[in-house]
Amino acid sequence: MQTDAKDNDFELFAAGQDPLLARVAYLTRLLRSNMRELGLDKAVEQAAYVIPDARERLRYVVRMTEQAATQVLSAIEQAQPLQSAVNEQSAALQNLLEGAEGQGMDPLLRKQIEQYLDLTRNHAATTSGLLSEIMMAQSFQDLTGQVIAKMLALIDELENGLIMVLLENIPEQKREDLSGYLNGPQVNPKANAEAVTNQDQVDDLLSSLGL
Amino acid sequence: MPHVADTGLCENNFFTPQLTGSKMNKNLKFLIVDDFLTMRRIVKNLLKDLGFNNVEEAEDGAIAWEKLQGGNFDIVISDWNMPNMDGLTLLQKIRADANLSKTPVLMVTAEAQKKNIIAAAQAGASGYVVKPFSAAILEEKLNKIFEKMGG
Repeated sequence: MQTDAKDNDFELFAAGQDPLLARVAYLTRLLRSNMRELGLDKAVEQAAYVIPDARERLRYVVRMTEQAATQVLSAIEQAQPLQSAVNEQSAALQNLLEGAEGQGMDPLLRKQIEQYLDLTRNHAATTSGLLSEIMMAQSFQDLTGQVIAKMLALIDELENGLIMVLLENIPEQKREDLSGYLNGPQVNPKANAEAVTNQDQVDDLLSSLGL
Repeated sequence: MPHVADTGLCENNFFTPQLTGSKMNKNLKFLIVDDFLTMRRIVKNLLKDLGFNNVEEAEDGAIAWEKLQGGNFDIVISDWNMPNMDGLTLLQKIRADANLSKTPVLMVTAEAQKKNIIAAAQAGASGYVVKPFSAAILEEKLNKIFEKMGG
């Protein structure tokens, strides 16, 4: 593969340096030039661009599953007491019926009422158990949420890595623009064409702007 | 809800504090510690099914630690992986505290590696339930804690 980082570059680079550091630096340059040649720098840029979107989508999943689980839990919390009430009132009615034994009620009707009360109690108990099962199943939200939280952390790391790659591949002039306004004291102003080195330069610049 | 019989299958060697006298009544005060609202609600409902209504919640170990100060809690049910202060740290702090050291702490967590279980046991957990769990498992582990508290 044609690259602009040639082996003699490496030798020049390696002179008087720690061989390991020199090797890493050389490989980095090689990787960078290859990336440009293959158009991978664009791919990296694109990847860095879609990451906020990926993060948003994952947060959406967390939000929607939590909402759904909360809705289910609220419904269960309302339904459980209703089932308990059916169960308790059927039991109370059964007791009343037993107490009224031999008071002229048609034995067939009585039998049917007793059977019905048995049925409601059984069904209320079964429904209550099923509601508990539905409730336990909502723990999926905690488990999937934890997995997604880990993925979000991974995406953050990936994004930082990609941003570093992008910064390193942006031409010097453009890179200056990215530094923003908070660059503090200039440790080596002479090396930076964009920095002033003394107050005279500040005043000159201001007067050129008409101040 | 029916009482789940102790099958003896889940014998563990966790440290469980001995409380004097029988405190195993329905007024036992629980603290549920979990960063997920869903899980706190599930555990709260399970406790309600068991007849325990004296329940408070905390979103992480740090909030739990604050609530525990003078909160007169009888049992702590805690998750492991939480922001600010995790469940293991909370457990260690409880065991190191003169006033709280005897409070039973049941870990309910998705951390399912052996090293987690060993670390929790060494830190003095009263029980360890791996998520997802069934209502019966939680009840069984709580009953074990109640037995130790009563005895």
